[in-house]
Formats: sequence, C-alpha cells, structure tokens
Amino acid sequence: MKRIILPGELIFNGVKRLNHTYVSNSKTYAAIVGMYDEEHGTLIPLEGVWLPNIGENVVGVVASERNSVYKVMLTDFVEGLIILDRYSREHFSVGGVVRATISEVERKNRVILERYGVLKGGILLNIKPVKIPRVIGRGDTMIKQLTDLTGSQIVVGRNGLVWINRGNVDLAISALIKIENEAHTSGLTERIKQMLETNR
Amino acid sequence: MSSMDLIRSGYIKELLESGKRLESRGIDEFRRIVIKCNTLGNAEGSAQVDVGNTKVLAGVKMVVEEPHSDTPDEGNFIVSAELLPVASAEYDVGPPSPSAIELARVIDRGIRAGNCIDLKSLSIDKESVWSVYVDLYVLNYDGNLFDAGTLAVMSALAHTRIPKFENEEIVHTADDKPLKIENTVVSTTFCKVGDKIILDPNGAEESAMSTRLTIATDGLHIRAMQKGLSGSFSIDEINNLVDLSFSKYEELKKQINATLDK
Amino acid sequence: MSHANKPELIINGKRTDGRDFEELRPLKVEAGILKNAAGSAYLEWGNNKVLAAVYGPREVVPKHLTDSSKAIVKCRYSMAPFSSLSEHGRSGPNRRAMEISKVTKEVFENVIMLNEYPGSEIDIFVEILQGDGGTRSAGITAAAVALAIAGIAIRDLVYAVSAAKIGENMIIDPNMIEDNYSDADMPVAVSPKNNEILLLQMDGGYTKEELKRSFEMVFKAGKTITEIQKESIRKLYEGVSK
Repeated sequence: MKRIILPGELIFNGVKRLNHTYVSNSKTYAAIVGMYDEEHGTLIPLEGVWLPNIGENVVGVVASERNSVYKVMLTDFVEGLIILDRYSREHFSVGGVVRATISEVERKNRVILERYGVLKGGILLNIKPVKIPRVIGRGDTMIKQLTDLTGSQIVVGRNGLVWINRGNVDLAISALIKIENEAHTSGLTERIKQMLETNR
Repeated sequence: MSSMDLIRSGYIKELLESGKRLESRGIDEFRRIVIKCNTLGNAEGSAQVDVGNTKVLAGVKMVVEEPHSDTPDEGNFIVSAELLPVASAEYDVGPPSPSAIELARVIDRGIRAGNCIDLKSLSIDKESVWSVYVDLYVLNYDGNLFDAGTLAVMSALAHTRIPKFENEEIVHTADDKPLKIENTVVSTTFCKVGDKIILDPNGAEESAMSTRLTIATDGLHIRAMQKGLSGSFSIDEINNLVDLSFSKYEELKKQINATLDK
Repeated sequence: MSHANKPELIINGKRTDGRDFEELRPLKVEAGILKNAAGSAYLEWGNNKVLAAVYGPREVVPKHLTDSSKAIVKCRYSMAPFSSLSEHGRSGPNRRAMEISKVTKEVFENVIMLNEYPGSEIDIFVEILQGDGGTRSAGITAAAVALAIAGIAIRDLVYAVSAAKIGENMIIDPNMIEDNYSDADMPVAVSPKNNEILLLQMDGGYTKEELKRSFEMVFKAGKTITEIQKESIRKLYEGVSK
C-alpha cells in the first residue's frame, strides 16, 4: 500500500535509516514529499535535490578551465571536475556539453569525473532529477522505446540533464516532459509508447 | 527549473534553417495568450497576461499629485517594470536593471505616443491631477517580455476605474468611472537568429538571438519601435516586419477587447 | 494606531466581515504555479494575494558568504507597489519589509536541513501582490509549500497566523482594519509537528491568560491551515499509482 507522505509526517514509529528522512525522538519522519511503500519500507521522493553517488552517469556543461582542470556544472548545486592528464586527447571548450561518470564524491556538491566525452550539437533539456529513473525505466525499457521511436540519440544524466541529438527532437522533448509530469502514475510506459507511435 | 535549462543555440538555428521552430510553431505565430483582468483588488486596474510560459502582472494605482510644471493642465502616466527574482534564476535582487528600465520605457512610449489616455481629462484643479502609475511585475520569464508587458499594461488600463477625490481624500466607490481609453496599442517583437527572423521568441530562442525589434502600433500608425542588442537589421527587413506588425494588430486587439465583454 | 477615529470592530458578537472570533478568512493555496523557480506557491487568504518562490540550493553570491558546512538562507519579503488600497508603494525595500525578511528567514533556517546542502544558498522570495493584514503570515505559509515543492529537505511544513485582541475579545487572523486598531497583535509561525514556535512578534498589551488563550487559538487555526497546505501539494500528484 503506497501513500503520499509530506515533510514532517511520521513514517515509522522507530528508527529506520532511509534517504530523505530524519530521526527525532527515536521516530522516523519524512523530510521531503514522497511516496511511502509500507510493504517494502521504501520512500520514493516525488520532489528532491540530486545528491551525487559514485558510478552515476551524468551530463554537464563546462563552466571554466584552469591548469587542465575543467569545472563542469551538473546542477545549480553540484559541480564535477575533469582532471586531464598528459595523455588525454580530449578537448573541452567552455560552454560545451560533456557526458561522464562519477568516480569520486569529494563532498556533497563536488565530484570527480572519469570516462568523459564531448557531446557535440544537439540540445539539452533539464528534467527534475527525481524523475530520471522513470525516464530510464526498469531494465532501460523507457529510454529504449524513446530512442527507437524517435530515432534520436539520447544521453540521460542522473543529474537531470538530458542531451538529445538528431531524429525527431521535438517528439523526444514532448515525451520527456510528459514523463516528468506523469512519473508518479502507472501505465506510463504504454502511454508514452502510444504517443510516440502516433506522432512518428 | 534552474539556470541550466539550456537549449543549444546551434539547434535552434538548425531548426530555423528548415523553417521550423520548437513545438512546431510558425515563424510568425504567437504562443498561446491568456489575459485575466481585475485580478488585484487593491489596484484601480490590473491584468495578468501569459504568453506561453511568460507570465506578467500589471497593476494600476491612481494617485493625486501636483501637475508637472511644464504640463500644468495634464495628468501623468508612468510605467515601471520589475524583473522579479522569482521569474528567473538570472534575475537578481536589487534596483531595476537596464533591461527592466528599457522594458518599462518602451512600453510607456508606445502607449503614450498612441495617446491611449487623454491626459487632459485627468486634471482635477490647478493644484491637483491624477497620476496613473502602472507597475509591471514579471513573474515568470520565457521570452518576449515586451509584448506580454504591453498587453498587460494596455489591458490593465482598459479596466482601470478612477476613484473619487473628495476633501483631499481618495475614496473608492462602486460607481467609479472607468479611465477613458482613446486608443489601443499592441506590440510585436521579432528576433533574428542566424539570418532568420521570428515573432514572439521564447526564452530559448532569445538566448540564440543576435538582435531584436519591437514594434508598437495602433492599427493605423507605428507608435513606437525599439531595436535591442548589438546585431543589425536591413531596411527591407524592417519594412517587412512593420507590415507583419500591422497584420497582427487586429488579433491582439481582439484579445484585449474580449476581456472587456466579461 | 490612533484610536480617535476607531471604527466599531465588534458588532453583536461578530467581526466587521461577519466572522466569529476564532474564524479564519478563506484560504486557498495553489502549489507549483511558476515554471522557472525550483518551488513556488500562490496563496489567497482573505483579501491577501501572495506569491512565494524558492531557488536553490545554488552557488553562493557573493562567494565570500559561502559556508562549507551548510547552506545559507536568504529571504526577501516585498510588497508590490499596487498591493495597497490607500497608496502607491515606491520601489525598494523599506525598514518594515527588511525586518519581515529577517524574521521569515529565521523560520526557515530552523526547518531546512541545512547540512544537506553545504556550500550553497537557498533563496526564498515572498511577493505580496495584494495586502490586507497578516501578510507576513501568509508569506510564510506560502513559502513553506514552495520549499516542499522544491524538494529541499525540511523537518516540517510550517504555517503562520496572527492572533489579536480587540477590547476584551481574543480573535484570530485579523484583517488590516482589525490589525490597525487592535489592542494587541501577535504573528506566530509554528512547526506543527511539536507545536514549536519559530516566529513570535507582538505589540500591545496581553495578560498571561490572554497570551495562553492566543496560543491555543493559533494551534487550533493551524490544524486548518496545515490541511489546506497539504492538500495543495497532494493535488499535484493526483493519479498516483497504488
């Protein structure tokens, strides 16, 4: 049984270490707006600020460069650093888009990036990070049908930035915005499939 | 959404090469316009306008003041604008920026040059006149504040009622007379992206533009123009845009008039 | 406020707008009304019309204010020039607005889990579009919803409301006329989880009993206000999967 839970509401009459909650007087309370699944004891945020984790794939914009260290903006709050070594062949320009993986979390708002590459052209869309898992879908089902039915290259960053290039970009954007707005509903994968097929 | 809501300018230009815009909009097409009037109970006139996702609110306050020495038998009309920090991550707290000031002055010029308000009718006596203060609040930025702002100010004025001035006091009554509006001015803003010119740019298109032209008309005359940013227009381009501007007049005026029928 | 021209505020046991002493003005909240802000809420409370928006967590400007251990909170309460019936407000913050900005900020510094966002800034904006008494309470009530929508970790959904005294009568949620002529006026912001007081201002004259009674009225009103805030947020997720 799932229910919407709001900040300050009691989740559990005991201590449960869950993300987006806090403990007070040995009771666990929600700190954000989310969906609490009583059966599985999980809290899925409906709104939330992205905090980085090792191994996450991200998309960012190069903000500045100094001494071969590039600062990449991942969200308004988190920045990623690309530290080039002598053998690196990559060339980044300020304002350019990059994809990368988080190799290290230095602090809540700064990470080190590895396996980076430039994304040329295309457009960048900002989707709420909490909705990104829905954009990807279980076993990549949602993202696969998006790329298949639009013919676009789509690179999804866990930080909320999504890069789209070629194919039916307009349709891809519309589908992504629809997923963002309806991420909390059921039957979404099917509805998106219908939308994409109708508007091809 | 954050300041990183970027759409690469290259992509916008690419689309325009094939005559297309995002969301399949025509190059001469306005986004959906919604006008709601009399939304503010403490203002003597008000209007909220949405042009796509751009949201602005105009409020009119009628104040009794001494006339200006160079126009002793005329009332005053003053437009101010604020780019509220709530409207965009790019807007800062503080005094009006040059963009806010330009916005206010351009809207002011169009309406003043169009003689939309009979300023002489605002004279009360030798020492007092009505001043019409219009404040434009930008609540959400997604491009084209000029056209949204002109629509909001014009609509707010069209719904403004003048309070009574009795015994040195302003008194609001149920049968306050409407402010006499003699003319309707609307504006159309165009921007150049690459070598293509489009009407009613949204925020993403504005970040790709090299230059912008706002034309205010009343259906018969051009009342005000303002070119913005450092790109350039040719005379031919300007003449085309003037024609286009006139062709849009009726449709925009209809939107304002529709609010008066309610 | 001079009591020379004091109007009759209580007639036959009812207030000038027909309310009972403990009755709140009608309150409506719409969450998520602005597209660019991280979180926003529009609120109508009696004749008050208030817009609250949140940006952040984002980079601190200017840089030297950065606190590497936690987020800093900035708040701006501002009344629009067209918000008052009696005058045209001039641009720029006045002293009253600056004080309200400060005490509002202090409410949210308490409930926002600042340690979650070190080195960042969280900005809260309250714009009063139409004012009729109790605007700071309306602003706080709206800003709480905006923060929740922004997904910023907060300990509780706070609300605020004023209590006041007219003659011997304790009332809740005074409108502007009542506010101006009251014998005591007390805005209060509360974290309803444990009824903790996060904002408290008062001037006038209260006995200890009257103060106690006022708090009781505030907490009672708070139940209604909180439910309206929560409903405005839940509404955004209609069609939730079971």
